Amino acid sequence: MYSYAERLKAMRDTKIRHTLEKRKQNGYTDLDDFGTVPISEGYCVTPWYNSTNGSFYGYDGMCENFCRVIDAHEPYIDPNEMLCGRWRDMLVNYRGDLHYMPDWLKNNLKNLEFIKNGATNQWSKRWDEQRFPYDHLKPLQAKYNITTGIDGDAHFACDYRIGFELGFGGFLEKIEKYRAINPDKQAFYDAEERCVKAIIAFIQRHIDRLSVMIEEESDELVKDNLITMKRTCENVRLNPPATFREACQWTAFFNCASRIYTRDGAGFQLDGLLYPYYIKDVADGILDDETAKFLIANLLLIDPHYYQISGVNENDEDMTNPLSWLILEAADSINIACNLTVRVHENCDRQFQKKAVYYLLKNKNGWPRFANDKALAEGYMRNGIDKKTARERIAVGCNWMCVPGREYPMNDLVKVNVAKVLEEALKDLRTEMDAGSACSTERLFELYEKHLKCAVAVTAEGINLHLDHAWEVTPELIMNLMMKNTLERGEDITQCAELYTVGIDGAGLAVVADSFGALEARVEQEKLLTWEEMFAALDNDFADERTRLMMNIAPRYCQGGTVSDAWAKRMTDSWVKIVKSQPMPKGRQLIPGWFSWSRTIEYGSRVGATPNGRRAGEPISHGANPNPHFRADGAPTAQANGIASVQCGYGNTAPLQLEFDPKLAADEKGAEIVLNLIESHFKQGGTLININVLDGEKLLAANENPDLYPDLVVRVTGFTAYFASLSPKFRQLVVDRFLQGI
Amino acid sequence: MINGIVADIQRASVHDGPGIRTTVFLKGCPLHCAWCHNPECIDFRPQVMYYPEKCIGCGLCDKGCFSGARVICGKEMSVQDVLKEVLLDRDYYGTEGGITISGGEPLAQRQFVNALIDACKKENIRCAMETSLIFYDEETFKKLDLVMADLKIWDNELHKKYTGVENVKIKEHFRRLNGLGIPIIARTPVISEIDQQIAQISKFLSELENVKKYELLPYHPLGESKREALGMTAENFTIPSAEYMKELEKYVFVR
Repeated sequence: MYSYAERLKAMRDTKIRHTLEKRKQNGYTDLDDFGTVPISEGYCVTPWYNSTNGSFYGYDGMCENFCRVIDAHEPYIDPNEMLCGRWRDMLVNYRGDLHYMPDWLKNNLKNLEFIKNGATNQWSKRWDEQRFPYDHLKPLQAKYNITTGIDGDAHFACDYRIGFELGFGGFLEKIEKYRAINPDKQAFYDAEERCVKAIIAFIQRHIDRLSVMIEEESDELVKDNLITMKRTCENVRLNPPATFREACQWTAFFNCASRIYTRDGAGFQLDGLLYPYYIKDVADGILDDETAKFLIANLLLIDPHYYQISGVNENDEDMTNPLSWLILEAADSINIACNLTVRVHENCDRQFQKKAVYYLLKNKNGWPRFANDKALAEGYMRNGIDKKTARERIAVGCNWMCVPGREYPMNDLVKVNVAKVLEEALKDLRTEMDAGSACSTERLFELYEKHLKCAVAVTAEGINLHLDHAWEVTPELIMNLMMKNTLERGEDITQCAELYTVGIDGAGLAVVADSFGALEARVEQEKLLTWEEMFAALDNDFADERTRLMMNIAPRYCQGGTVSDAWAKRMTDSWVKIVKSQPMPKGRQLIPGWFSWSRTIEYGSRVGATPNGRRAGEPISHGANPNPHFRADGAPTAQANGIASVQCGYGNTAPLQLEFDPKLAADEKGAEIVLNLIESHFKQGGTLININVLDGEKLLAANENPDLYPDLVVRVTGFTAYFASLSPKFRQLVVDRFLQGI
Repeated sequence: MINGIVADIQRASVHDGPGIRTTVFLKGCPLHCAWCHNPECIDFRPQVMYYPEKCIGCGLCDKGCFSGARVICGKEMSVQDVLKEVLLDRDYYGTEGGITISGGEPLAQRQFVNALIDACKKENIRCAMETSLIFYDEETFKKLDLVMADLKIWDNELHKKYTGVENVKIKEHFRRLNGLGIPIIARTPVISEIDQQIAQISKFLSELENVKKYELLPYHPLGESKREALGMTAENFTIPSAEYMKELEKYVFVR
């Protein structure tokens, strides 16, 4: 027996086994699963360091170490699958940061010898500070708890059409062609060429392994499958993909390489780019729908890249096609952590969108999520971008969008912790109070804006430093292959992107809005507390529980029409104004959004007690979401209203992250209600919706004993993760968020 | 304009009628059902609910409780106050959702309810009501898009014993309401300990053509903690077994 259903089940079981093995090898990880497989016996890489600080940088450093890591990757072939290739390990692991290093590598004494003397904090050696120091920015970056984006990588999107047109052999030819035109860029072309050749060799190793497996296989059906796999690999080793299967296999190989390099996870419009292959192969009689579904499921299993489906084109015409439906069905059949985004537009086939919601309710695995085509495109156009380009900007990351091949947005890499900004404003206000001035929320907001401007300015300096020198530190040698201008000019994408619309997110919106709201309500209006008493309460971390509760249950953001709702809107206006007015050189511009990524615990640990009754060190609020217990009924409509009102409006997101109890059945009524919620939020201007439909009992049981539930997937923020892989602290955060209905 | 005494307003309700709804719970009910899951809505006056486990012992109860230990249930609100809250979710009501006026017994605050329905209708918001049908108010019913009503026990004496009122009027009101042509969803809370004669109830309702759906709602003990918080004695009903509910399944209908 070798049916598709049985093979998918076996593939899913293998995935579950891998999740548990990886937990043992890597320890907990509060990250996306990324589709890695466990480290194999005897796997070892000896990195090459070209910097005296114990790290490697630049074309030669990145290229040499990419080749070493991909060369060490053994082929991955599962006879149940139709596609092959997986990745295990990435370059960043070898940059000498003990904190970031997975357990299996830390336990390898040989590697530890290399780096133990230089072990420092997380990420510290990703940027070459010896050559490009930014000590002058650090005090303010620390003051406002800024995630700088300096050293960030991979947060942009390839144009897969380029790869589908050229293939790996075509990349080599293109490199040769432009090498001749740009003789002064030999180092760039050398590095690109070596990287492509290393990928081709990686594919060749799969072909060689397949040859052996074919020889040894006695089952005729399995053997036939291996033969087809081998032929597919042979075809895509140098040639551009010619069939649906080859396009999937080509993507799988490219994605493995790109992940190994900088963990890139940006996919593409899956039902758009693969559709011509699907149509042709079906017409040629070499592909049926069941096989197409299996191939898509296989691709989704290989790597949870962010793929987008449906939506409208530049003429507002529905792009939903038969393949879009098959993709949903394929994702359902494998039902793992999928980062599949459904683009929603009023012109799209509503039945398709309802089907997408149905799968969300049925599988309770956090997929798909939903992006608002209209608000995102119109918002992006406000940056002076044409409609066609804006429509091409697709959801390819946790909370973010990018124009494939043309944009370098650094999206989701840059955050300002506005709770920390508030803390600084409070310090100033107290100084003024001690000097005899009267306190008010108005004055506090002026001070908050003053610090926010300062925070944005120093963030911009960091961004510009990154953009000016990233090519010398971490050039994007793999993703460059499918970007415009790169090979043509001999430049890294950080130097030659058509669009530098750089994302900058604020984190901690609800903490700050509720703090202003609590101060206005309790101190100014009701006079239950004086400013002096309030400052004393912050100093002693709310030693008096009654005071804490008084501030904590003051009217909140997302309750609807409250003082804190008004503050959240005012904060958003102010954030947008300050970010958009920040001068940037060389045609670069900043785009504001609200998003904390999954750093709510880390950001919270840097902030003292806040006037909303939050104790020092407690997590900050999540993304644009309200604080926990924002309403007794936890009404998602209330949350959706609130979040719609804080959209920044320039094409980046303030996502609505909902946690649903699965009381809503996966039926017509349930799907209609959730789709209505999605459509209504989008009509209000919402941008992105991530929904967890979780079985509360299962979640609580899994928190007690995660290993019994290795298949439980939760949508952490924009990404999905295996619950069993998350650290206990992070698991608790997910559980709390669910219990609190947000 | 007359004010209402509102126990609670629950947004994004998906179990009190079709679509996404805002449910307004009004205080006060002439029935005293022993199993009532909203016991705080029986008394017409605002009441203090006390949850000792939440008390932080600050000793400042008279200056306001912020811990949730002392909660006042029941707030006098104007139609405009309620409408303002209802309008917050208007974007989410779609073609099916809207407001559900519940309780308590909404028609016990007839004038307020009428004014609220009028105000909602003016805003094109669909209106549904959950009622015991102890009262019959044709003028109000005619304005509604849906009525959800209970027939709890078939036998009159037993009905009186467990709810405090006879059911003769309720049955008559069902018949009269049926004549108005408004869709009705009829329901019976299932209490294992009582011989409710659900077969009889179902037969009676099936003869009323505007009863579009008959539902059985298994008793749940969610009202018990509220009962304790109100200083009332807890009732000891059991949750109906899955087998019992399965047995009764033949009596429900949708048309």
